[in-house]
Amino acid sequence: MDSQLQSIVLDWIPSNSKVVDFGCGDGTLLKTLIKKKFVTGYGVENDPEKINDCIANGISVIQQDIDISIQNYKGMGFDVAVMASSIQCLRRPRNAMRNILQVANECVITLPNFGNWELRLGILNGKMPSSAQLPAKWYETKNLHLCTIADFEELCREESFTIKKKVYINRAGKSSRLASKFPNLFAAQAVYLIG
Amino acid sequence: MKTVSEKITFDSSLTLESGQVLAGFELMTETYGELNSDKTNAVLVCHAFSGNHHAAGIKDGDKKPGWWDEIIGDNKTIDTTKFYVVSLNNIGGCHGSSGPVSISSELGKPYGASFPEVSVSDWVKTQKMLADHLGINCWEMVAGGSLGGMQALQWAISYPEKVKKAAIIAASSKISTQNIALNEVAREIIRKDQNFHNGEYLAQGKLPSKGLKAARMLGHITYLSESNMRKRFGRKLQDPEKKVDAGINYEVENYLQYKGEQFAKSFDANSYILMTKAMDSFDPAKDFDNDLVRCLQGIQAKLLIASFDSDWLFPKEYGLDIQMSAIKAGIDSSYVELNGDYGHDSFLFYSDQYASALKNFLNSNG
Repeated sequence: MDSQLQSIVLDWIPSNSKVVDFGCGDGTLLKTLIKKKFVTGYGVENDPEKINDCIANGISVIQQDIDISIQNYKGMGFDVAVMASSIQCLRRPRNAMRNILQVANECVITLPNFGNWELRLGILNGKMPSSAQLPAKWYETKNLHLCTIADFEELCREESFTIKKKVYINRAGKSSRLASKFPNLFAAQAVYLIG
Repeated sequence: MKTVSEKITFDSSLTLESGQVLAGFELMTETYGELNSDKTNAVLVCHAFSGNHHAAGIKDGDKKPGWWDEIIGDNKTIDTTKFYVVSLNNIGGCHGSSGPVSISSELGKPYGASFPEVSVSDWVKTQKMLADHLGINCWEMVAGGSLGGMQALQWAISYPEKVKKAAIIAASSKISTQNIALNEVAREIIRKDQNFHNGEYLAQGKLPSKGLKAARMLGHITYLSESNMRKRFGRKLQDPEKKVDAGINYEVENYLQYKGEQFAKSFDANSYILMTKAMDSFDPAKDFDNDLVRCLQGIQAKLLIASFDSDWLFPKEYGLDIQMSAIKAGIDSSYVELNGDYGHDSFLFYSDQYASALKNFLNSNG
């Protein structure tokens, strides 16, 4: 996760809260949250190698498929649920979004913006596009449901999810005037606090 | 690998969960590796239902190594060049620790059926006395599979400050109804052996070997997965030259007959009954109004809960149930679902995924 993105997430998550990170990868974000915000943190991950990294890092991790298991995390007393660059990998992202807001009072979602100009150019070239955020080739990507910032925010409106805060980040990993003004074209990533 | 086998006598009386008292008791132990000067590298391994203190290495004259030899040893998953591994035979067992075959000082003969009922928390209590005896204040890890995993869980509950990590493998916080039912069928088979004599067979100079053998044959099926049996034996007919019994048709029958026979030679029928009863009654949440979350709340150890996909005796839902309660309780706990070819018995065997999880857990900091 880019350092600015991480500092935004850290800023939004209250100290001493109970956090679940869906698609926690090797547990780096949770480790930082535990160290800097004293959270009680759990990760949910399905990749055995990443699970092993979490265990080696001393991070509590649960090996489960998010699509199937997310509803089981309701009523566990979580203050915040995080889904960082994971939503596009799910089979049923809308269902996950509906559930995640019942898992915790607030959730932090980050997503790569498929509407970014670099990716649009790729499509114009007649090829599946790639970028720093979406480096994998079409035949090996884990992404199933890529969306643009406009698509995601449309879903939030349709489902009445309240976007409490949002920050758009450019290709260099920074928030910029251009990315803020024309996010769907110039932002490479977006981070949302949804309640 | 430095290996020390020692029988340790405890003279103080032990009040069991049932209220019965043992005037004193013995524990047969085996240790691997060396305890460091700070006594901070100790790992306790707890055996499953039919296991014993001999967890690793091959003893003189034996064909097979200890039950967890694939995991414990120099440069293995539980690395004995770094850790001091303590293993023991639990009381009620029949491999050197006090149990139905040991001589009761009061009776002047083997306890037989009069050996008191034991529980998982009784075992943990005796293991704590063993830790005190060895000068170990806190285990780096307590680990075990199946009934051994239940002991690891009980350790974390009973002695929160004495365990840093607990590996609960192929286990549950209580066994299923189906499991109790299967145990009762096994016990019934033993009790109905004409040599059983209400458990006083030793005094009669007899052994209920047929019952014990048949009980084990039933048990053995439950430890394996259907796919493992299919791959291993299929419907292959037994080579007539190697039949243990003339009535046998299939390889799987021969295998079970052989395994049952071997088991009956090395295990005691009263121990079988005691051990399965201890398994049936394990339910640490019962002391907390059946609330597992409250039961786990006091735990300070980090937990690793591991289940195997092919295990139908202790299905993964049971491991996951402990994990979800641990999350509710807010304690450090990880859950992994491992691929295992051997059904419930998978916990005994090395696999890359299994070994990595256990090794990373044991060696993790923070």
